[in-house]
Amino acid sequence: MQAQNTVTGTVSDDKGMTIPGVSVTVKGTTSSVSTNIDGQYSIQAPSDGTLVFSFIGFTTQELAIKGRTVINAKIAETAQTLDEVVVIGYGTQKKDDVNSAVSSIRTKDIENLKQTTVDQMIQGKAAGVSVTNNTGAPGGAVSIRVRGTTSISGTNEPLYVIDGVPVSGDATGKSMSGRPMASDGFDSSGGAGNNAVSPLSMINPNDIQSIDILKDASATAIYGSRGANGVIIITTKSGKKGTGRLTYEGYTSASSIYKQLNVMNLRQYATHQNNLALIYGTAPDQLRPEFANPQLLGAGTDWQDAVYRTAIAKSHQLSFSGGSETTSFYLSGGFLDQDGTIIGSGYKRYTTRLNLDSKVKSWLRVGTNMNAGITNEKLTINQSFGGLISNTLLQAPDIPVRNPDGSFAGPLDNSLNSTYFNPVAEALTKDNGLVRKNFIGNTYAEAEIIKGLKYRVELGANTEFSEHTDFTPSYFWGVQTNPVADLTERRQNWYSVNLKNLLTYDRTIGKHAFTLLAGQEANDSHWEGITATATGFQTNSPYGLNLADPAQTRTTSYKGSASLYSFFGRAIYDFDNRYGLSASFRQDTSSKFDPTTPNQTGYFPAVSASWKISNEAFMEGTRKYIDNIKLRVGYGETGNQQIPNNRYSAMLQQQNSGLGTGFLPANFPNPNLSWESMEQTNIGLDFSLFSGRLTANLDVYNKESSGFLFQVPLPNYLTGGGGQYGGMDAPYSNLGSMRNRGYDITLNYNTTGNFVWNSTLVFSHYKNELLDIQDGLNLVQSVNFNGYQPYDVTNTIVGQPIGMFYGYVAEGIFNNLDQLNSAPLQFDQAVGTAAGQTYLGDIKYKDVNNDGKIDATDRTLIGNPHPKFTFGFTNNFRYENFDLSIFMQGTYGNDVMNLTYRNGTSNAGLYQNALSEASNYWTPTNTDTDIPRPIGSTSNPNLQVSNRYIEDGSYLRIQNITLGYSLPSDLISKLKMSRVRIYGTASNVYTFTKYSGYDPEIGSFNQNQLLTGVDNGRYPSPRTYSIGVNVEF
Amino acid sequence: MKKYLNRYKLLAVLAIVGLAISCTEDFTDRPSEDGISLDSYYSNDEQVASATNGMYSRTWFQFANKFFYAVTEVGSGNMFSGSSDVAAMRNFSLNGSDPELTNGWSALWANVAQSNSIINFLSARVGPGVSKEVLDNTIGEAHFLRATAYFYLVRLWGAVPIIENNLDFIGNPQINTNRVEDVYTLIERDYLLATDLLVEKTRGVNYASNGHVSKGSARAMLAKVYLYQKKYTEAKAMAEMVINSGEFKLLGGPSLPSKSFHDLFTYPNNNNEESIFAIQWVVDGNYGSANNANTQFGISTAALTTSNTSYGGVFAPSQDVLNIWESGDVRRKETIMLPGDTYTDIKVKVNGGKTDQTGFVVPSAEDIGGQGAGAAIKKYVLGIVNGNNTGEIDAWSMMENNTYIMRYADLLLIHAEATLAGGGATADAGALASYNAVRNRAGLPSKTNITFDDIFMERRKELMFEGDYWFDLGRLPRAQATAIMAAQNRGNRFTAEYFTPSEDDFLLDYPDNEVSKNPKLLDAPVPYTFE
Repeated sequence: MQAQNTVTGTVSDDKGMTIPGVSVTVKGTTSSVSTNIDGQYSIQAPSDGTLVFSFIGFTTQELAIKGRTVINAKIAETAQTLDEVVVIGYGTQKKDDVNSAVSSIRTKDIENLKQTTVDQMIQGKAAGVSVTNNTGAPGGAVSIRVRGTTSISGTNEPLYVIDGVPVSGDATGKSMSGRPMASDGFDSSGGAGNNAVSPLSMINPNDIQSIDILKDASATAIYGSRGANGVIIITTKSGKKGTGRLTYEGYTSASSIYKQLNVMNLRQYATHQNNLALIYGTAPDQLRPEFANPQLLGAGTDWQDAVYRTAIAKSHQLSFSGGSETTSFYLSGGFLDQDGTIIGSGYKRYTTRLNLDSKVKSWLRVGTNMNAGITNEKLTINQSFGGLISNTLLQAPDIPVRNPDGSFAGPLDNSLNSTYFNPVAEALTKDNGLVRKNFIGNTYAEAEIIKGLKYRVELGANTEFSEHTDFTPSYFWGVQTNPVADLTERRQNWYSVNLKNLLTYDRTIGKHAFTLLAGQEANDSHWEGITATATGFQTNSPYGLNLADPAQTRTTSYKGSASLYSFFGRAIYDFDNRYGLSASFRQDTSSKFDPTTPNQTGYFPAVSASWKISNEAFMEGTRKYIDNIKLRVGYGETGNQQIPNNRYSAMLQQQNSGLGTGFLPANFPNPNLSWESMEQTNIGLDFSLFSGRLTANLDVYNKESSGFLFQVPLPNYLTGGGGQYGGMDAPYSNLGSMRNRGYDITLNYNTTGNFVWNSTLVFSHYKNELLDIQDGLNLVQSVNFNGYQPYDVTNTIVGQPIGMFYGYVAEGIFNNLDQLNSAPLQFDQAVGTAAGQTYLGDIKYKDVNNDGKIDATDRTLIGNPHPKFTFGFTNNFRYENFDLSIFMQGTYGNDVMNLTYRNGTSNAGLYQNALSEASNYWTPTNTDTDIPRPIGSTSNPNLQVSNRYIEDGSYLRIQNITLGYSLPSDLISKLKMSRVRIYGTASNVYTFTKYSGYDPEIGSFNQNQLLTGVDNGRYPSPRTYSIGVNVEF
Repeated sequence: MKKYLNRYKLLAVLAIVGLAISCTEDFTDRPSEDGISLDSYYSNDEQVASATNGMYSRTWFQFANKFFYAVTEVGSGNMFSGSSDVAAMRNFSLNGSDPELTNGWSALWANVAQSNSIINFLSARVGPGVSKEVLDNTIGEAHFLRATAYFYLVRLWGAVPIIENNLDFIGNPQINTNRVEDVYTLIERDYLLATDLLVEKTRGVNYASNGHVSKGSARAMLAKVYLYQKKYTEAKAMAEMVINSGEFKLLGGPSLPSKSFHDLFTYPNNNNEESIFAIQWVVDGNYGSANNANTQFGISTAALTTSNTSYGGVFAPSQDVLNIWESGDVRRKETIMLPGDTYTDIKVKVNGGKTDQTGFVVPSAEDIGGQGAGAAIKKYVLGIVNGNNTGEIDAWSMMENNTYIMRYADLLLIHAEATLAGGGATADAGALASYNAVRNRAGLPSKTNITFDDIFMERRKELMFEGDYWFDLGRLPRAQATAIMAAQNRGNRFTAEYFTPSEDDFLLDYPDNEVSKNPKLLDAPVPYTFE
């Protein structure tokens, strides 16, 4: 017998986190101790003995003592891929047993991404899920498309289920009040711009435990009417049994735009203005005298420098968790203060969360998940003609930011007044703020009635109070003045209550395992809001409705409610861990449809099956290499009902005149309105090789939506342009059908050992096609380019993907009279030099329909906003105490319509700046150009939407690089800490793209699927550098 | 014991589930909480009588905001604008992609759609408490408004689809246009029905009660419609019926000497005795309920602005209308501001918008404003908000002064022209009485013999900036209209510019968006069968 030595040490996990309660045994003996709170142990052992470290959920590790007295052990979590639990609708299932296409994202996949909102973190992390940031503004909404586009109406955003509480991904409020949070409308022609805010921005990303994305209908059908766009289930962190844990996470970051567009400086501008004025017919002696010698001028105002800034963000989060035998808890508080890269914009968030679970009786568990959040946002207007970004690019450089007396400057003479304004003044003096106060949570009780039979009742609620304040002070920016301040205040609140009764029965008889579920759910939403406008202020500060002229204050209000009532059931059967079968059924009754008809009720069945080939006896010989092979097949039906209320009946709206108030019909009703339905078939293959080192998931799918709900795009001669100005809104109808076919691939490779390498590649492809549409209607969509004037930019026609760019085909520029005279007549314009005539230097458009003339019927599809594929590539490396992750993502094969380029090269008017290349316009001596001759009218045919403005939007972005270092555990254990990690992150590091605008990631305008990839001055996503620390006690 | 316990639990569960199920009654019936359902309204006279109120402003906004002036006044050479959204007609380059074109088109069709809703369904929807007189009058108004909308449509676009019931086409929206003569038939039928159904009125001093149209309004419009079709006999008879009824009076004419041409365009005189049909704007907090003319016309410079906003003065007088006035014509100063003119009652902002001032002198030509016209439009300009003189303004600085669609002076000139009946000249006493009433009110001496050109020029001056001259030009022989327009200086005060319209410039293009939704609009018009 050898001498017994005292061996001490610390046990930590592979992240360097010390682990209490690890059993340390001297091999071959019964001598055993447990690690203390700090993961430390001390044991008597022979110097040639071996210590065995074991802990549930971790791989048991044996270390020979070899005479050492200090042994720090690192134990690794058991490869969890096979045992991992996936949250499916109304229950959980072992990942291994799931028959449907489900993508799961774990904390470790996203913890390095310092994004403001959870939805942004999904980008590039799950196959088949495309996430685009619609704006670079902090807290802005994203567009998430699960397997292409299912519907073109209402919303295409998935349903989020946060700890059991359903939250619509629709940021536009279309199916509720019909209003976004921060303005009264989303019309493409309004000044409100792209102002959808993320419905998930109240959830602190640090609180997230896991995100499970149900992609195919065999999984989502259990969510019935709301499952058509996919379901994203978010589970927040819970306490674990054992000693309490205290975690601090903090970071600070600096963001700035990484690219400026090349606009003219004052010298170039003055020369250009002189040239344009002469071309427009200004007499040479009438040119602006101050521009007589452009070379003597300075550089003028660089509006981009003046408007963009390096924005600092600070985030702090503290969480506490722990648990006893019966009760576990997780409590957190977070604070985020993030400036926007545009001056005057920013975002603040306060969140707190409590998750509690307690076993009060042997047969009864109760618990709650509660989240409260407050956000305070300073918004900008972007993606709009009147938006800050357009103004920044096109405001004239001869206007200073400020006058010598410090006040904001503007054009000094009315004749120099363009439609653009001083963007710095706009950003710094106007208040456009949104405060949201949100509470989301649920409370549940679960009783085990007999063994295997559980009854669960769950009451969830989500409520939000929002305050939008839009104040334009009185100002005098040169001749641009607002003599009296204006204020618009909107107060909105809504709540949604969700009651669930669930019965589940689990039973295993021999090789047969069953899980049965029966449930009932009721969802009740109410909303209301008040808007007041006021003016007649005596002073700019302070301001409030009470300080305005009461005679000029106007108020209006709105309210409404919606409900959904459902029954559902599911059976999951497994035989011998080889054959799996699931079947589910749901019935939903929706208040969106006529209550006097059967249209209210929809039925959504689903079935799926799987075969674990690797568990068959004949595969016995291959187990060395192949851990798991599973084949899955699923089919399901889901629906969509997210349309405005009461579209089945005709409503009156108040329309006033000097004769008094009156009511006019507001819409054409459609009592036949019913569910939009979606059928999806999915075939999947999962396998993992070499002890889980390489895993792969492949899914192919075909999904067809039919009867999609859309407002019939009737001509204005039937609607009078819709209800806003006294016409009648076209009816909603179950309008057509479309198909998405595609495949999702996820490949994962990981190593264990000293050097840990884990790479995941997700790759998604879909092909969208409109199959059918009622009456051959056309779904042209417009956006506002110029002075509140909408122009058609996309069209959606049968046999093509939806939302294709639509316009004329430009075939170069007329360079000689032969070309001009032999070309088809353009827009009824004779050939000649007079105004309204076509001449040399004009764009030659293609006679697409070969009718010998160019007119509106020659518009065709000129670009495709849908990518051929999207991808995300995540790489995590760990060596000793260092960790490194590199995340890249991108799209390939999609087009972008660059309206910023159009506006910046239009040469259609004076007093506004232009992109530098605008000076390269056609002249008889400069014919080798693609910019036509200047014409002083914004409606001149050269500016028609054409393929001139279509660019390749493919990009590969190094989205994130993070390098972290964990302090050695023996060092920090002396400080009573279990983990300290410091890290540095660079986000949006570099983008490989041919796109000439700020950023190829455009997204959808206010989540409108038919306005995807249209860059009308999008808030650019910044590059961010951050440093942070994670500390655990 | 445990067994029973489980059973109780089960029972409790079932009870909760049962409770949840049993309260489903009406759970999914959610009638609107902030809107009125069409089916449950129109139960009394007040509700029916107010049904058309919105059709006196909201439905016209997109038409009257910019489009109306951009086409009829810029197009006719009365106005000048360099503002790209409204300047296209200056050189006849307006095309189907123009957004204002779509706005004007849509607004007229909004009137058609709302009128059709009343014409086709109101009778069936009203409750038993509604009197026949009120119902008839409301339906009469709908016929009047539909005819008025179509009268603009046919004059602006020519052949358009005749839609008597929108619901007939919701399921098959791609329809042909109908012939111009059929559209005129519809207009005549509607105005005739309106003359039957509308109430008889005499325009008195209670201006508030004058706002809704009457039998006389329909007859007056019908006289104009007849004149456009050269149905001189019918036009004359209809005009005389209106004149003889005594319903309308000229402000500043012999029967209303206390008022003047100036008063026609002031806010307190909305719905005066001369008004036949006017758009009734209101400040109600919504964009699109009030009149933008005060901002779009007038002067807007740093030194002096007649609007509460700084982006005004979009339209200016053309160079062609500055010197057409006889001396002593009081209308000149009420229509156009020239340098040196003094307006004592108009409140303005001076000193970069920072100071208010009542009364002003029009500055020199180079200081008038951005359009470079050297003059500004006075008609419909009220100045900045000034209590009861101007009425209120809304957040967009729009105001409540009416926009005339037709007034009595127009009818008098129609009467004179219908009496002339295409002849060279006339000394007819009735024609002279009507013609001279308009001239005398303008401070000009009577004439004893009048030609078509006399009447035509009088119409231009009297109705300038009221959206009529373009249509007057349109009913001249083409060569004559083309010659008139080709001779107009359509430039600014620095640069004279001349443009010659071609034949297809006399009718507007259909909006591109509409053509893409219905290419049949470009097909030849088809005959319409009236029921």
